[in-house]
Amino acid sequence: MAQVAVPEAGKNSPARKIGRVQQFFSDDKRFLLVILLPVVLFFLIWNALPTMWMVGMSFREYSLTSATKIAHFIGLDNFVYLITSADTWSALSKTFLFVVGGVFFETVLGIMLGFLFWDSSKMPGRRFALTLLFSPMVLAPIAAGNYFRLMVNPNFGVINYLISLFNGGKAVELLTNASLAFPTCLCVDIWMWTPFMLMMTLAALGSVPKAELEAANIDRLGWWQKFTHIILPHGKYILMLGILLRTIDCFKTMDLVWTMTTGGPGNSTELLGIGLYRVAFQSLNLGRASAYALITLLIAIAFTSIFLFVLNRKNSAEEA
Amino acid sequence: MKKEKKKVGYYVLLWVVAVLFFLPVLWIILSAFKTKMEILAWPPKFFFVPTLDNFRDLFSRRIFITALTNSIVISLSAMVIAIMVSFLAAYAFSRLKPKLTGFMMFMLLSIRMVPGAATVVPMFMMYTALGWKSTHFGIIMFYAMFSVPFSVWILKGFLDGVSTKFDETALVNGAGHLNTMFRVILPQVKAGLVAAFIFNIIFVWNEFLFGFILGGNKVQTLPVALATETFTSSGMDWPYLASMSVINLVPLLILLFFFQKYLLVGMTFGTVRNEI
Repeated sequence: MAQVAVPEAGKNSPARKIGRVQQFFSDDKRFLLVILLPVVLFFLIWNALPTMWMVGMSFREYSLTSATKIAHFIGLDNFVYLITSADTWSALSKTFLFVVGGVFFETVLGIMLGFLFWDSSKMPGRRFALTLLFSPMVLAPIAAGNYFRLMVNPNFGVINYLISLFNGGKAVELLTNASLAFPTCLCVDIWMWTPFMLMMTLAALGSVPKAELEAANIDRLGWWQKFTHIILPHGKYILMLGILLRTIDCFKTMDLVWTMTTGGPGNSTELLGIGLYRVAFQSLNLGRASAYALITLLIAIAFTSIFLFVLNRKNSAEEA
Repeated sequence: MKKEKKKVGYYVLLWVVAVLFFLPVLWIILSAFKTKMEILAWPPKFFFVPTLDNFRDLFSRRIFITALTNSIVISLSAMVIAIMVSFLAAYAFSRLKPKLTGFMMFMLLSIRMVPGAATVVPMFMMYTALGWKSTHFGIIMFYAMFSVPFSVWILKGFLDGVSTKFDETALVNGAGHLNTMFRVILPQVKAGLVAAFIFNIIFVWNEFLFGFILGGNKVQTLPVALATETFTSSGMDWPYLASMSVINLVPLLILLFFFQKYLLVGMTFGTVRNEI
């Protein structure tokens, strides 16, 4: 097959080699297989393999602290333990609260600020201002968590200093108080990710045709009517994608809260990710951790399906 | 005249909002130029004489230099591998449309939707068994894998936007698959490559959990050093933490400034490509 290379190519010349390569890829199926091979390999080695490992482990008793370290089959015991454990349900409900609270405030604030920035295209130094505005998103969560811990510290934190100015000189224990630690972490998350929803709102507003807005102005529509009749129909899918992405990310939150409170005080900020980390790397019970991970995996897949469903609706709406 | 004034007020308001969000970050940056006493002062010091001592100290520490080098080498290699793999895959999904395209795209996306704490357990077991723990290869390939799903999504979005007329013209002119892919189509999706790079570098550069669990003490990246090296017997080493956070943040801020318009595309995996 290789003999019928490009005619003008001499023996062993680079052109002849290229000719061979081209010939090899002239078959559509073969070409498809070759360019898909890397991604499939990646998927098999770094995803399918560990996931199967996880599924297998979740039915076993395997702990790094046990003397024998032999993983023996215990059926559904890990799952039964987790489902009947109050810790799991507490972590689930806290994560739920964190997601609902975080996403709600980020969305409301983000949409409000997004509307504020709607007319900003001629703003002087816009690019610089937006860089400052988006900077919380690129700050390492580890750095943010550690530094917020300092900033809300009642003895030398700047935020607590500002609170004390309005509180008759008294600082407030924020992270060491079981009822305040959770809202404090939530506020930091809201600070970090409101700019994201602002960005999505700007994108959504950008997708509204100018002509329709002008028509609405001529018809003297109120802002609420403008919002529900013109902006929402065009921008709703982008906003929904933004909300879903935040939901998924919020659900995954771990390092930020871990550095601020390590799940404490007590278990008042112990989210799903932190609970899982504890079972795996503090109790070193990898069998139970695998079962825990499998449960979170299923929840995440449910979220992803919703995300894709909305995305398909968006694409078909744009084609229509 | 009155309208002008209103406009100025509006812009000032926007700047105030932007600066308000930036304030905590600014506080970290300021702390990096303070002495330890000034960082922990009560009432907090808003005005002080800046010092570069923290950075001098930082750059004299071998651990930091190693972590910085590791971060740069690991994230850049991971990006190059991920973007090459993703471009090939996205091209296949966009142009050759194999049967299971939808399903494969879903599987790819679902990987990245899973909480890190869930995947880190099996990954830890697998890496220990294969002897990849604490190796550069292991970490680079892990981060590359983590960047592949979103890069494929971003690049497929861009490739779908390139008219198939280009392919047809190339085909008519006798170009093979490889020439069409690399010489005709690739130059059209440069923006997609940048978007994929920007989004994934933000994530990989700041990633802590996997770096910590899979890299251990031997292959530390900056976020891992931030979390593990800043504890001393006498509490947190705040000047060290602040100056290292700043070094970690600055490259991303520069990227954010110069490639701002790609941020939105990246953060939505190419599903939203409007201007902001």
